[in-house]
Formats: sequence, C-alpha cells, structure tokens
Amino acid sequence: MFEKRDEQLIEQALKGNKKAWFALIKRYETGIYQYGIRMTGTPHDAADLMQDIFIAVFKSLSNFRGDGSFKAWLYRIAHFRCIEFYRRKRPDTPLEDSEELSCERPTPEHSLMSDITSQSLTHAMQRLPLAQRAVIELKFFGQFTFEEIAEQLGLSSNTVKSRLYSALSKLKLDLEVEHG
Amino acid sequence: MVNQSPEYLFGQWLDNALTEDERSAFEALCVSDEDFAARVATATQLNVAAEQFSAPPMPAWDKNATFIAPDKPKWWQWQGLPAVSMAMSAAAMVMVLSGFSMQVEDGRVTMGFGQSVPKGPTEAEVAALVADRINDYQQANQAMFTQYVNALQQQQQESSTQLAQYLLKSSRQERREDFAELVQFINQQRDDDQRYYARQLTHLQREINAMDDGYTAVTE
Repeated sequence: MFEKRDEQLIEQALKGNKKAWFALIKRYETGIYQYGIRMTGTPHDAADLMQDIFIAVFKSLSNFRGDGSFKAWLYRIAHFRCIEFYRRKRPDTPLEDSEELSCERPTPEHSLMSDITSQSLTHAMQRLPLAQRAVIELKFFGQFTFEEIAEQLGLSSNTVKSRLYSALSKLKLDLEVEHG
Repeated sequence: MVNQSPEYLFGQWLDNALTEDERSAFEALCVSDEDFAARVATATQLNVAAEQFSAPPMPAWDKNATFIAPDKPKWWQWQGLPAVSMAMSAAAMVMVLSGFSMQVEDGRVTMGFGQSVPKGPTEAEVAALVADRINDYQQANQAMFTQYVNALQQQQQESSTQLAQYLLKSSRQERREDFAELVQFINQQRDDDQRYYARQLTHLQREINAMDDGYTAVTE
C-alpha cells in the first residue's frame, strides 16, 4: 500500500486529524529520539527533548510552506529546541562554541545503549561543543547536504564545513580515548 | 583551477561531489597530509557508525500531549480570503477600465465591454411617452365610464319597469276596490230607493185606500 506523503499528513493533521499526526510522528520519532540521544547523551533527556520537539512542530505546523522537505524543517526546529533545552539546563552559559555544554562523564543511563560503538560515539559527541555536535549530527546521521545544514542552522555553507572539519579532529581523539 | 583548500575538498568528498581533478587533489592530500587523512578516516568511521547506530528502545511517551486540536478557523480567517479579495479588486478594476456595462431589460441581462453606458430617453421622447400613457389612460377611463353609464341605464330601466309594474298593479287593485265600493254603494242606494219607493207606494196605497173609504162613505 502506498504511504501518504508528509504534506498530505500535515494537511490532515492541520484539519484536526489526530491519526494523521500520529502517523507523521511514527515516521520520524525514531530519528528524532536518536538525535536527542546523540545531542543530550541520555535517553531520559532525549525523550523529553523529543516531546518538546514534536509539541513545537505541531504548534508551527501551519507555518510549514513545503518549500523544502519536511524532514529538513523538522530538524531545524529540533535544533532550536535542543539549544533551548541546554539554555534551560544552564541558563547562564553561552551556547555557541561552548565547551561547558559537553558531558564529561558517561551517565549510568549510557549502559542502556545496546551497542558499545554507539555508546562510545554518543559519549564522544557529548564532548563536542553544541554547535559542532549539531553539524556532525546533521551531516552524518541526518544525511543532509552542507547547503541544507547551513540553511537549518542559519550559517554559511563554508562555516558549516569549517565546523565539521574542526569537529572531526576533536571527535577522532575522543573516539580513540573511548576505545583506548 | 582546482580549489586545493582541505576544507573544501573534504566537504566535496562528503557530499560526493568531487570532480576528477578534485578527486586527484583529494587523494594527494590524503597521502601527504596525515591530519587530513585522519579526518577522512573519522568521517568514514562516523558514516559506518551512523548506519549501525543502535539506540535504546523507544520509551513509551505521551504522544497525545503533542496534539492540540486546532480551533476551527472562522470564515474571515479563511486563507483564500485575501486572494479572493485581490481577485475581486482586480476584476472591479478591469470592469472600470474596460467600460464594462450591464443592462437588465425585460428579464434579460446584457453585458458588454467598451460600450458607453446608454443614455436615458430625450425630453421629447419622455413627453411622447407620457402623452401616449395619458391617452391610453383616458381611453381606458372612457371605456370604463361608458360601461358604467350603460350599466346604470340598464339598472335604471329595470327599476322603472319594476316601479311601473308595481304602480299598474297597485292602481288596478285600487280601482277594483273602488268599483266594488261603488257597486256596493249603488246597490245600497238602490236598496234605499226601493225601500223609499216601497214606503211611498205603501203610503200612496194607504191614501188611495183612505180616499176609497171616504168616497164610499160619501157615496153611501
């Protein structure tokens, strides 16, 4: 059976069709949850962030004009919610390029991760500043192009490339530490 | 000229958009620049990790909290309203500029562009029209009056006939009664005369008789 397009589900959800909205959530919840895990480092925070993201998405659903893909629009909102999430956690900390936002130690919840590599990767990503982490997340896990990432983060494509380039250098060292 | 910047080549490689020349430069950089090669390796490792990433199972979360039943939009909040309004304005402008005219006559609607709006009738036409109407009105009135007079006359005739008949009938009856009275009177008179004559005769007879008695006595 053919799946309904995102735009069709959005249109129905905007008319109050709960089923269509849940179908849209089902389509993206895993991705968003995993995004939350990699961005926050804990399943608990990831679940909170996911709920936050979907509430924000539903509230802004009528603003989605279909210029780009829904996925890109969803991850843009996810990024803003993630920034907000960290701002709530540490209200006085500047967000961009902030090293303090990284999680230095693995939490006990990390043990919930089913795979060692995934655990290491998640933990290593927590050491990256939020701005670099977002670029890594969108590029490797979201599979977006640099142009799309630049649009989502409101940056130039070159800045995104530069951030990724720097992030990879740091991530390599962290992964080595994790495995070492 | 190939852009030799490591960041650029790295980005192109990640987007899978390297040209032949750029690929050569990229491969050369991988060999010559250890740091660059390490980044490429990390990126490759990340790509594999992303494919194999396993997260803990999805927790049961309250999806219902994300759904806020939208208010039914009011008719004036309909999104097509500005567009319709714009279209109507444009149509109105076109109608004005193109001299659009519309006429309703005898249940027919006539529309046209570029026509001057038909002027009203002239004064003479109005006067003629009014005269026609008055003439018609007069004729109608006259016909009505004639009809009315005829009806009145007819009614009058009927009334007169009825009155004459009534009078004839009543006078005939009166005459009959008068005659009856006259006959009765005459009969009475005759009775009275007869009685008078009878008395006279009786008196005369008595006188005659008396005269007879006297004569007899004289003679005797």
